[in-house]
Amino acid sequence: MASYVQKKRGILFPLAMALVLALSLFPIYWILATSLKTPVEVISTSPTFYPHEPTLQNYAEIAKGGYLRNVANSLVVTAASTGASLVLAFLASYALSRYRFPLGANKAFLVWIIMAKMLPPVVLAVPIYDLFARLRLVNSIPGLVLVYQVYTLPYCIWMLFGFVKALPREFEEAADIDGASNSQILWRIAFPLVRTGVVATAIFSVIVAWDEFLFALLFVRSPDKMTLPLVVSGFIGEFETLWGQLMAIGILATAPIMAFSRVVFRQMTSAYSLDLK
Amino acid sequence: MANQGRLRGRAPFYWAIFSPALAVMLLLTLYPMLNVLVTSFQDYNYLTEVRRWTGLGNYRDILGDELFQRSFLNTVVYCVGTTVVEVALGILLALLFYGDFRGKSSFMIAAILPMMLSTMVVCAVWKTLYHYDLGLFNQILSSLGLGRVGFLIDSGKALVSLAAVDVWQWTPFAFIVVQAGMASIPAEIFEASLIDGANPRQRVLRVTLPILRDQILLLVLLRTIDTFKIFAKVFALTRGGPGNATETTSFFIYREAFSYFKLGRSSAASIITLAAVVLISMAYMRRILKED
Repeated sequence: MASYVQKKRGILFPLAMALVLALSLFPIYWILATSLKTPVEVISTSPTFYPHEPTLQNYAEIAKGGYLRNVANSLVVTAASTGASLVLAFLASYALSRYRFPLGANKAFLVWIIMAKMLPPVVLAVPIYDLFARLRLVNSIPGLVLVYQVYTLPYCIWMLFGFVKALPREFEEAADIDGASNSQILWRIAFPLVRTGVVATAIFSVIVAWDEFLFALLFVRSPDKMTLPLVVSGFIGEFETLWGQLMAIGILATAPIMAFSRVVFRQMTSAYSLDLK
Repeated sequence: MANQGRLRGRAPFYWAIFSPALAVMLLLTLYPMLNVLVTSFQDYNYLTEVRRWTGLGNYRDILGDELFQRSFLNTVVYCVGTTVVEVALGILLALLFYGDFRGKSSFMIAAILPMMLSTMVVCAVWKTLYHYDLGLFNQILSSLGLGRVGFLIDSGKALVSLAAVDVWQWTPFAFIVVQAGMASIPAEIFEASLIDGANPRQRVLRVTLPILRDQILLLVLLRTIDTFKIFAKVFALTRGGPGNATETTSFFIYREAFSYFKLGRSSAASIITLAAVVLISMAYMRRILKED
């Protein structure tokens, strides 16, 4: 790559870098800065670019308002829906890559998976709502975990299928000759080999589940079962100018995911590199 | 598949591990879609649970409905506009920041942070920035002696303001995808073009971009499909307003079903939207099928 890159970078280059960083980071800085301002400063008519009297008051209000409950809900729903999807997706991917189901079911299922990833989820909302109402799953955390499979399961199958398909078969065949059972081969041989793939898949699934809004909006009624996106949306709608608290919740809703930035960057860089050989 | 015979003998095992995922997918996607398809030909009263066949009535109704037409148009404008801008900016950034320089990976990680934020948090901060009286943008504009702008309350500007939020949040995605592709182009290709005396512009237009064609196409599809679903931003920032300036198909379907309980109409609108999505993704699907 060297020879193409050895061009001189002009003095505009650092400026371009600064501009890109300013544009992408300013709103994030603004969330943090606003969350540390006093309510009076937030709505003052002359803007302050940094909190003049930094305070944790907004965070204290959030804790007092019982919103930590919602942080817990988000964590539980995200972890459970990702965990469930990973198990189902790993099993299904293994079956799909190692066994030919009749009637071209393998390909049909994978095409269906892509379709499911593409369609606007609101399209499915009414029948799922009816079904869940009958099963008493509306307004319940387990119901939310189940309905999030609409997003996370196709996603996990699609990603894990790629990893499982690429596994060399030799280990499984050797284990088979040594008399290992099917489930031993599955969990002791295949699973450890795709572990890094599982981690990458899990992170993307976590991001999707953590961010989910539509089904949470439709399926959750009581405040004590709400997830963070729902709380944030409620704040935007109801408390026009409690921006300090809004941004404090925003920080809580953002920090856990931001921690994955480096991994996401690495994973995407390798996932989207060309296969030019 | 050398030992297909042995594997066939284990059919019950493979069925057993495949069926849980299959069952969940059937329950949560196939069943609802068939249900919506049937309901789209019916007049379904949610409260009395009476279903009456109406043939194509709902479709005629929806296709002639000005609000639906408007929502469909808004969705297409939003979808095409954001996708084109995001992909163009992504390519531009990838070209600008091609190659190695000090602190590149830290720079990239900082640059992709917007797409790591939860969409609702993104909406929250932009709502405050856009606010007519107290928002930072308008405070800056008025301190410069310029007039205030009704970013979200002026019907001529609301859709563009929504699109700007999407561009801020997702241009990083386009950036990272294109730059990943570009970084993996082998050096020999550029060396060859240098020996052939290609100038920088020719290198970009005749070498880099053609090699990345499929990658860019995939990116366009991913962004199109994603922006076509737009719901959360509309819900949080404008609720379809002012008037119907930011009404989108997802929001239309949501309101028909969950505010007006007109399930026949919402189902017909769903099927029309679905047809549009399938049409958009045909190219993508064909490639996936060919690959296998």
